[in-house]
Amino acid sequence: MDCFIFESARKHLGIEAHYIHRIVDSVKPAPIPLLPSCHAGIIYDRGDLFDVIDVGRLLDKGSSSPSDKSPYVILLKWNQRKLGLIPKRIIGIKWVQDTADTATSQTVFTSEGRTIQLITPEEIWKLLSDLLYGP
Amino acid sequence: MNRTSIKNKLILSFLALLLIVLVVVGAAQQVTDNVITALAVSAALALAAGIVFGGIFSRSIVRRLNSLSSVAKEISHGDLSKEIPFLSKDEIRDLEEVFSAMVTDLRGIISEIQQVSTQVEKTAKELGVQIDKVLISSREIDGSALAIAKGSEAQSLIVQKTSLILDKSLEQMDEAAAQSAQTASKANEARLKTEAGEANARETLHYLEEVLKQTSENAKPIYRLSGKVEKIKMVMNVIEELSQKTDLLSLNASIEATRAGEMGKGFALVANEIRNMAENSKNSSHEIRSIVDDIFEDNKAVAAALRKSEEDIAKGRTIIHGIVGTFGEMLSGVKEISAEVKEVGDVARKQVKEISGLLNQFQELSRLAQENFVSTQKTTIGAKHQKEEIQEMVRAANALNALSQKMMKTQQRFRLRGT
Repeated sequence: MDCFIFESARKHLGIEAHYIHRIVDSVKPAPIPLLPSCHAGIIYDRGDLFDVIDVGRLLDKGSSSPSDKSPYVILLKWNQRKLGLIPKRIIGIKWVQDTADTATSQTVFTSEGRTIQLITPEEIWKLLSDLLYGP
Repeated sequence: MNRTSIKNKLILSFLALLLIVLVVVGAAQQVTDNVITALAVSAALALAAGIVFGGIFSRSIVRRLNSLSSVAKEISHGDLSKEIPFLSKDEIRDLEEVFSAMVTDLRGIISEIQQVSTQVEKTAKELGVQIDKVLISSREIDGSALAIAKGSEAQSLIVQKTSLILDKSLEQMDEAAAQSAQTASKANEARLKTEAGEANARETLHYLEEVLKQTSENAKPIYRLSGKVEKIKMVMNVIEELSQKTDLLSLNASIEATRAGEMGKGFALVANEIRNMAENSKNSSHEIRSIVDDIFEDNKAVAAALRKSEEDIAKGRTIIHGIVGTFGEMLSGVKEISAEVKEVGDVARKQVKEISGLLNQFQELSRLAQENFVSTQKTTIGAKHQKEEIQEMVRAANALNALSQKMMKTQQRFRLRGT
């Protein structure tokens, strides 16, 4: 399967490519008060509003720094949900071996020898939902 | 004066006696015829006449001699008031006159002796007073001479010490004069070196002006390069932006190709290649940016160094301006010092001369003090001798006084006329 790989929270993360709506750059999320610190704000792209999440801050519990952020925002669309992810660095679309259960996260290896943790947008959404309180 | 000598008197008497004898003999012959009787009577008469004449004659002489003798006796007793009577005109008269003259002379002498002895007594008294005064003066002289001798000795010592000090001062002044001459020479050398230094500083200033000008000229390309590097950086920004956009575009193309499934595989490959190219371009632009940044930094450093050099050169120019000014002041100062050192040297030499003169005068003074000391010693000795002599004079005056008193007593024995 084609997997969109990016680097964040000192890990290589992979999301199935069909979840990726597009990549945008040079956008500044509009911050929303009283939301968790990993929530960078919302952006408007071609008629859609996307919640933008700092993945490093989400996964690494608040250890993200501005240098850990790329100028790109990965826009995801699935099941009528829309989410924007701020990675540290985008590696690109790589082909990885399909696994039996793609719904759960697992670790795979690419031909370049990278260890990639596969993740789904739902898992990210769940992580967001599990946050007990705001910033 | 008509004088009759005793000899003539005797001859006349003898002739008279012979005449008488002849007369008697003639008369006897007439009276008697006896010759012998006549002779005997004549002889007896002649003898009687002779005795009478002789007695008269001798009595006359003895009487005058006695008169002289009594006068001489009174004179011998000091009575010079007696006058010698002139009783005859013979040789005894001569004796009487001589004796009278002698008495007169003696009277005059005694009178003179009286006067002299009175004068001597008076003089002896005055002499005694004067001797006492002289003795006092001599003692004072002796004391003064001793004080002068001590003073002269002290003066001599002080003069010797002062001479030594002056001698040392002279040596020091000599050294000072020599040193000032040396200093003057060194000041002259310093002046020459300062002039050379000023010339060098002026030359350095000129050279620095040239260097500054040249540096400004050389800096211009560097500043131009800096501007160009800035432009390159702007271009690099554009290239980076382009590569980023290309990267983004290729990513989105890849996503679209993936979404297209099997149909998009080829496009995905192209998009991947484009992305690789964009990545390469990005990496290259990063490298170029890094190089440009390095160049920029180097250029900045070079420009800063040039600016610093310009500033340093400007500072150096200011400093050298200051140095030139300082050299000028130094030169002026060295000239003044040289003049002053020369003046000091002249003064030192003059002082050496004056101190030499003073030393000579002090040596002369020392010599005079020595002489004074010796003279004072001699004066002391002389005063002692004088004292002894004065004492001797006192004794002599006393003796003279005693003598005058004795003379007075002696002359009191003589009685002069009217005394």
